[in-house]
Amino acid sequence: MYGEIANKLVQHAKRTQSLAHLPPYQTEMIRAVTREVRDLDKDVAAILEPFAGSFDPSTEPASACALLVNHLCMRRNKRCLLAYHRVRSDKLEELCWSGIDVLERQQQQQQQQQQQQANKAGGEGTATMGVDGNSSSLSPEEEEYVRQYSDLLSAYKGQWTDIDLTGSLEPPKDLFIDVRVLKDAGEIQTEYGAITLTKNSQFYVRQGDVERLISQGYLQRLS
Amino acid sequence: MDIDDLLAEVSADAVPRETRDLQELTRAWVAERVAPELLPHPEALMERVLGRIRKQIELVEDQTGNMDPRANFTLIVVQTELERFKFLVRSFLRARIKKIDTHPLHTLNQHAASTATSAPLLSTAEYQYLTQHQALLSQHYATSFLGQFPAALQQLDDTTGISMVDKPDEDAAVFCRALREVGEVFVEGTEKRFEIKRGDVWVVRWSVVRDWVRSGDVELI
Repeated sequence: MYGEIANKLVQHAKRTQSLAHLPPYQTEMIRAVTREVRDLDKDVAAILEPFAGSFDPSTEPASACALLVNHLCMRRNKRCLLAYHRVRSDKLEELCWSGIDVLERQQQQQQQQQQQQANKAGGEGTATMGVDGNSSSLSPEEEEYVRQYSDLLSAYKGQWTDIDLTGSLEPPKDLFIDVRVLKDAGEIQTEYGAITLTKNSQFYVRQGDVERLISQGYLQRLS
Repeated sequence: MDIDDLLAEVSADAVPRETRDLQELTRAWVAERVAPELLPHPEALMERVLGRIRKQIELVEDQTGNMDPRANFTLIVVQTELERFKFLVRSFLRARIKKIDTHPLHTLNQHAASTATSAPLLSTAEYQYLTQHQALLSQHYATSFLGQFPAALQQLDDTTGISMVDKPDEDAAVFCRALREVGEVFVEGTEKRFEIKRGDVWVVRWSVVRDWVRSGDVELI
């Protein structure tokens, strides 16, 4: 059916919106929809061919109707594809803003999966190897996009160094806060001297100094 | 102009510039977060505020070595104020970026129309961000699927049929308070007419009060 795959794609996008992580890129579906658009375009050309540029819709209502349906389907497919990609890129941008290195995380995930596969393969033989070898949930184009967007973002941020645009959007209440160290983070320099952050220790520090470390998960804020 | 307006002007001059800037910034921040549409970038205000933030940061850095307990206390006050200012500016800019990203092409068109006026919609940095982001996005679309489309379907700003350029909902309801006398207001497309008096709070369509918000007669809350 015309537009059916595109519909599935939109449902995918809808689901993506409420997920915390990014589900795998639907390469197959994207290809199928694009193919459908190209086929429709060929159909349109085939219908128009016998008329040689002098097509009059009022004399040929049947062909005109077919053309209209084809055109609408193409447009619709395009919108669906755009919507799907937009939802995904929005999600990626959000991750960029919150300071998560998407590509690094992807690599970690891949490595984990490969390890799991390797473990499994050790037990069951090598049959499963290579089936899901490249299980990154981003398409190569998306990876490129993330890379360039983070560059763009840091360039934009660079103009507001005093403000730190990616900082917390919670209104600040206290200048100093209590934090507990969850992971060793080494030594940091503050205006009141250097602090060595060793695991499980607790500090009373200036919020501005440690905000980054909190969002990276090294420190936990105690309220 | 009546006696109230005169009084208001006199008292506005009595308040120092810094306080008024804070008030303006807060107002701009609230308006930007509430209005469905992007508002013109307050260039002069931002410059003043950023300049002051820079000065305060320098002051803090200068004074940090000072071990005098009294200086230390003032420093804490200054730093607290600084954090609050930073928050305001950050939240303000982020609200703008969010709107720019939601309706990029619409914003671009509006900006192009507003460059000739005295109040351009975007700052230079925002404009750069928008155009580059748009270039990235269209490249991303093109390499992902659009490049394989028939040439006639490759545009992103097609307005034949259903327009592809998304617009914010200009008829969304907003809460607003009149700072000065506005007079009679007419809501387009309906039979509604009403008078907005100074100090009144109304819930109205954004498109109705837009011009007064821009001129500062009405504030969003």
